[in-house]
Amino acid sequence: MNLPLYEQLALALTAGVLRGAVYALVALGIVLVFRGSGIFNFAQAEFGTTGLFAAYWALEIKGWGYPTSFLFGMGVAIALGLLTERLVIHPLRDSSRVTLLVGTAGVALAAIGFQFWWFNETLVMSMPKINEAFFMTPWGAVVTVQELITLGVLAVVAVGLALFFRSPSGLAIQAAQQEPVASELVGISVRRVSMLTWGIAAALGGLAGILAGPYLTFSAGFLSFGAVGALLPGFMAAVLAGMRSMPGAVAGGLLVGCIEQLSSLSILDGAVPGAGALVLFVFLLGVLLVRPQGIFVGKVATA
Amino acid sequence: MTISSRSGSPGPDAAEETTVIPVVPAQDGADETTTLPPIDVPVLEDEEFEPQADRDATFRPSRAGWAARSAVWLVLAWFVLAFPVNFLSPFTLGVSDVSAASEAAIFAIVGLSLNVLLGYAGQISLGHQAFVGIGAFTSAYVVVDLEMGFWFAVAVASGLGLVQAAILGAVSLRLTGLYFALVTLAFGNFAQQTVFAIPELTGGEGGKEAPRPAMFDSDYSYYFLCLGFLAVVLFLDWRLTRSKAGRALQALRENPRVASSYGINVKAYTLLAFAVSGLFAGLAGALMAHHDEVIVNQKFGFQLALLFVLMTVVGGLRSRSGVVIGSAFFALLHSGHLLSLLEPVTQTIFRFSLVDFITGTIGLPIEFVALVIGPILLLLTITMYPGGIGQQIAPIREWMLGRRFDRHAGKVTEVEVNDVRA
Repeated sequence: MNLPLYEQLALALTAGVLRGAVYALVALGIVLVFRGSGIFNFAQAEFGTTGLFAAYWALEIKGWGYPTSFLFGMGVAIALGLLTERLVIHPLRDSSRVTLLVGTAGVALAAIGFQFWWFNETLVMSMPKINEAFFMTPWGAVVTVQELITLGVLAVVAVGLALFFRSPSGLAIQAAQQEPVASELVGISVRRVSMLTWGIAAALGGLAGILAGPYLTFSAGFLSFGAVGALLPGFMAAVLAGMRSMPGAVAGGLLVGCIEQLSSLSILDGAVPGAGALVLFVFLLGVLLVRPQGIFVGKVATA
Repeated sequence: MTISSRSGSPGPDAAEETTVIPVVPAQDGADETTTLPPIDVPVLEDEEFEPQADRDATFRPSRAGWAARSAVWLVLAWFVLAFPVNFLSPFTLGVSDVSAASEAAIFAIVGLSLNVLLGYAGQISLGHQAFVGIGAFTSAYVVVDLEMGFWFAVAVASGLGLVQAAILGAVSLRLTGLYFALVTLAFGNFAQQTVFAIPELTGGEGGKEAPRPAMFDSDYSYYFLCLGFLAVVLFLDWRLTRSKAGRALQALRENPRVASSYGINVKAYTLLAFAVSGLFAGLAGALMAHHDEVIVNQKFGFQLALLFVLMTVVGGLRSRSGVVIGSAFFALLHSGHLLSLLEPVTQTIFRFSLVDFITGTIGLPIEFVALVIGPILLLLTITMYPGGIGQQIAPIREWMLGRRFDRHAGKVTEVEVNDVRA
């Protein structure tokens, strides 16, 4: 039984936007780190999964309340981000970018390893939703309140970051990346700015992880390549944003989510298995070859 | 342009220059212009350096030195050739241990393949499991569905690996550094979810049969087959680094623009590196398929790609022996055989069970040991010992090759160069 095409389209776009919100959160973190330190952070999604594991542990094993557990998860994610900055990024600050990339990939793998270690008895975990309610849209898509909360959080975070980058601290982050020595001379502590960048990025990752966790069951590596594999889509969204633009990252995340879901249309489905991955790969190649500077980039702010 | 060799010892060029330069100007200058005193400072400096360089260049081990080196070589040969197959060995290993040893040899080929890309060409691949996987399924397909011979299947798998890597390499020429890492990541994801999910090619969930040839049916003979291929790959890799192509790759990794201004064809040599890497990866894939005999598509996930990067970097980029040791180490750690091999040793010597300690006291199941230890080793390697295992074993390797034992041999300060830009 196949639905008419326009209904499928509506369903796919709804699912795409909702899933895209998670991608956009991850993409924001990736863009922030790239703007702050010029690094492709492959550990971004794992900050989220680790935060999710911590929140799950606090809620289900320790029996703390939902708000406390949420904050605890965020705290663990931020702590992981700061530890990464101190133990890996800072000692390697003079190395090549590929070395740093291998370093962040190592952090991601270490996080996955520790997640396995921590919860190796539990095979399938599921985090309860903040609000279990859901409703049907007029075109028949099921939308959970949890997904709407994620979308709302994304909007708040995006606006907040846009404002933040106009504040002195936000400008300091950019200055420190572009001219570290000159920034030190005008009184910006590059070290503190770097810590700040990674802390915020890890918090964004934590938000993505803890908010997306209840969508499905989860296991180690959930947000990187597990049930909600947001690492690659997040990077694609960041590329669409030219690795610099915050609003671009949000738009890119939503677009990537939609494109991925469009491949589930029945006219494509069945032709090849895993059409989503194929479409994403071709899309990324196309974007990188045709417009490597990104799509959602306005005037590049240099200040 | 001159390219300094990685080991600290001065090459023949440097020795020649030091002998020629000081003699000429001092004599002529004294005859023509009598006012100027002869400049003898550089002469003194060179004479100070001469004996050390000379001593190293003409160093020959004594008779006892040769004997010691031969003994170590013999032990090494025994360990690789005889120990796994229970020949001349006080230990008895099971068939599964030999099978793990074959896997270690296959992983070593993968490590060398990634080393060509990451170490020689300076391009990171996060989708190497796709190259290996496509090689594996191709070989299985050729043997089972097309009913061709094993050797032909290996050739086809290697050739396909070469072609797909060259295509991806052609793409990479338009991209730089970090963006290329993303493309390989997406390619790996695409291969895993799309290509490996085609049931006609991969046999679906149950896996694809990949029978071994009759000659290499037993695990013992298959181990020697893998070793043979590893030796071929090592030889090719050695020839690659010693040839004009190897020097060109080194130059363009250091700085593509300078290399290009010296007349090095950057595109052609980058493509060559990709092709060689793909060839090795396809070969490793084919060997892996027939090693497992039933190859399952879940095997080629993103974690495997990360494990490949891990073992190559920990092994030490641009160090063949280091990469082989690192890859074998991680292969054995990954399959859990390293711990079960070490278990009797720690039991008898220390009266202490390593496995009990890890699974009981720390609470870490054996199959996750590589996943926990690996990243820690990786981070230690890139932050503290950028040369990896290759750097650690360099003094012993130099000594075994008949040189003086030098604690500081093979010292490197940086894993990669600073010129890989996004």
